[in-house]
Amino acid sequence: MTTPLTDPFATLEIEPRFDIDVTALDARRKELVRALHPDRFASSPANERRMALGRSIEVNEAFRALRDPIKRAEALARKLDLPVGETTEPKPDPELLMEMMEAREDLAAAGRAKDTARLATLASQMREREKATIEGLTQAFRDPSRKGTILPKLGELRYLRRFLDEAAAFQELAEAG
Amino acid sequence: MLLEIFDPKAAPRPIGIDLGTTNSIVARIRDDRPAVIVDCNGTWLVPSAVHFEKNGKVMVGTDALRLAAVDAQGTIVSVKRLMGRGADDPETKRLGTFDFVNVSGGTPDPEGDGENAKTVRFRAGGRTLTPVEVSAEILKALRKMAEDELQRVGGAVITVPAYFDDAQRQATKDAGKLAGLDVLRLLNEPTAAALAYGLEKKQNGLFAVYDLGGGTFDITILSLDDGVFEVKSTGGDSALGGDDMDRLLAAKLLEVMHADTKTQAPVELVRLALDSARKVKHALTDAAEVDVVVPIKGGGEKSVRVTRDEFDALIRPLVERTGVSCRRAIRDAKIEARELDGVILVGGSTRVPFVKRYVADLFGKEPLGDIDPEQVVALGAAIQANVLAGSGSTDDVLLLDVLPLSLGIETMGGVAEKILPRNTTIPAGAKQTFTTYADNQTGFELHVVQGERELAVDCRSLAKFTLKGIPPMPAGLARLEVTFEVDADGLLNVRAKELTTGVEQHVEVKPSYGLTDEEVENMLMAALDYGETDLAARRLIEERVEAERVILATEKALIADADLLQGNERSDIEMRLADTHAAIARQNASQIHAAVELLDDATKAWAGRRMDRAVARAIGGKNLNEVETDVAAARGVEAHLHEHGGG
Repeated sequence: MTTPLTDPFATLEIEPRFDIDVTALDARRKELVRALHPDRFASSPANERRMALGRSIEVNEAFRALRDPIKRAEALARKLDLPVGETTEPKPDPELLMEMMEAREDLAAAGRAKDTARLATLASQMREREKATIEGLTQAFRDPSRKGTILPKLGELRYLRRFLDEAAAFQELAEAG
Repeated sequence: MLLEIFDPKAAPRPIGIDLGTTNSIVARIRDDRPAVIVDCNGTWLVPSAVHFEKNGKVMVGTDALRLAAVDAQGTIVSVKRLMGRGADDPETKRLGTFDFVNVSGGTPDPEGDGENAKTVRFRAGGRTLTPVEVSAEILKALRKMAEDELQRVGGAVITVPAYFDDAQRQATKDAGKLAGLDVLRLLNEPTAAALAYGLEKKQNGLFAVYDLGGGTFDITILSLDDGVFEVKSTGGDSALGGDDMDRLLAAKLLEVMHADTKTQAPVELVRLALDSARKVKHALTDAAEVDVVVPIKGGGEKSVRVTRDEFDALIRPLVERTGVSCRRAIRDAKIEARELDGVILVGGSTRVPFVKRYVADLFGKEPLGDIDPEQVVALGAAIQANVLAGSGSTDDVLLLDVLPLSLGIETMGGVAEKILPRNTTIPAGAKQTFTTYADNQTGFELHVVQGERELAVDCRSLAKFTLKGIPPMPAGLARLEVTFEVDADGLLNVRAKELTTGVEQHVEVKPSYGLTDEEVENMLMAALDYGETDLAARRLIEERVEAERVILATEKALIADADLLQGNERSDIEMRLADTHAAIARQNASQIHAAVELLDDATKAWAGRRMDRAVARAIGGKNLNEVETDVAAARGVEAHLHEHGGG
């Protein structure tokens, strides 16, 4: 697993919170990159070019982290001193595991049959589920009494993401014939 | 004053180069508009063909292409397909007509691991050449064309297919260096095309660039938002293009030309078949059918009729391969095809009617074609060169490109672990920590690969890095932090640090396919044998140009940001500036180099403060949450932290 280069919230100079406005975040990133992109320093001394490169990378990586709900949650959980990381986080709920196993069997069957319509339906159902989980995570970060639900929700989100990645791969295969 | 000393004739002018598989073009800005540069014969399209004669004479372009028919072995075409490729690459084998050499230019490999033997080399005109050297000849010819018109050429932007991997990019940059060009930037071809269109139309929105060239296919989805061109996703096939159409058609013609299927057709006959095929393809753009007269093996000739329908049926599978990449790029960009505001056609192969129709069907809209699809990339490159040289009025233009293929490292069991996924905005970086697995292990080998496949062997091997000098300690105790950086050109750099001792480790870069810096340096030396440039003189010029650049930038900043100077920074910097001026006056390359480094050191801390100021100005003191509406209602994590006493 890669480690973050910086605290992404500090790099983008924004308040650390889960429910951020991604459009505003994108605007902030663009402002910073406009000022720091190496192309802006094409005729500058070598040390400034290196510095601009390093800082552009930090801004881009911070944006990439905060745009993604999973990485954003990880960054926040780290700030709360929660043991982030798939090996240190608590084991997932057996009920969730069963449910995901069945869902992935459905997905694999649709993939084998190259049933693109079914694949699209399964993916869109899972995206709805993802939305609900993100909402749950938002609540968990907002309400201190729900701190204990942060890591389980984060784990759940990871399972959903893996399902969606797999669905995309199957769709690609099915389309390629 | 300084500029006058080193600039006796004309001011250097930036150029943009489209280094294509079949044809290359050079362009520059004239009267605020990009325009292609025309040679003395009135041609702007330079065939990417290089002919090497036994006497060391090199010919590029139309003349070289003509000689390909009589001396196929001495003439190299489509060299772009071999850039950064290994000799054992399937693509290399597919291009069989060259005489490939499997030795490393006569120099024995000290490691004896045969790593260098992987770089493709061909024999032509009695010389052993790498693709980089062949490409450099094309670039030199283009530079000459530009010099004839501009007198003095400044920095150059060279375009590459967006789908080019690190080795292919590095090879292209090396070729530029070898051709004596100051390569300002490598620019992705679709981004260059979008730049040419975007500035022309001044329209914001989402665009797809469909680029089918001679040897490569690229699809790029990008957004244009007030001068910021941001690539959302890119994909393609670095071995698919118009040449493949020619080959399919040539195979059909060869059935007539060389009826005997038991023996292989001679190289010269294949060459003739390819020439005829290209002509037929071009003619079918306007005509519904074409008659072509081809020679028959053993004497005589025969007329063959090819209809457009036949040709379409022949190329259909090729064109359909582009559809797979397009759909994936759309999905990666997280958009729907109907959201696109326009589709831009790039590359000579998009002139083929069947391709145009296919693109229109695929995206559900008529593609744009008002800028010549063959010129558009070079024109965009000229615009970017102008922006980077700081001489343009287009200061608000910013190109945000992406990493075309995932970067990964080989882990235990041969699995490629992704460290930066494809379509990550560049410049990009990642940090990863490794540990030793044996007691007293002092070295660590890292294998960097690029590609989407799960196993490292199925990805493209970029480089092997050996981290040395780890202090002996029990297994698992040493902590190696490796930082990967991809710059705006899409090129990778790696740094490593041992965390327990804090010692910065030296990273030995051993490219799996490309050339080492040393090899490029040797090639520069070898160029002397051909009486082209004096290396020492060239080095002096390079150091001087860099020194002038640093002096100019520092003097400007001393005026603009004087208030950020601290302590005796000003006097230190002024002293170093005077030393640099003096070194330039003495015309000593190493002294200039040393003086610039000292000046660099003296300005470092101050430069950091200036960058902080630039950032503060960019965000204008705005707090992101002022943009949001529901701040008051929501409780941030800080509150959390407070309540939990920091967890």
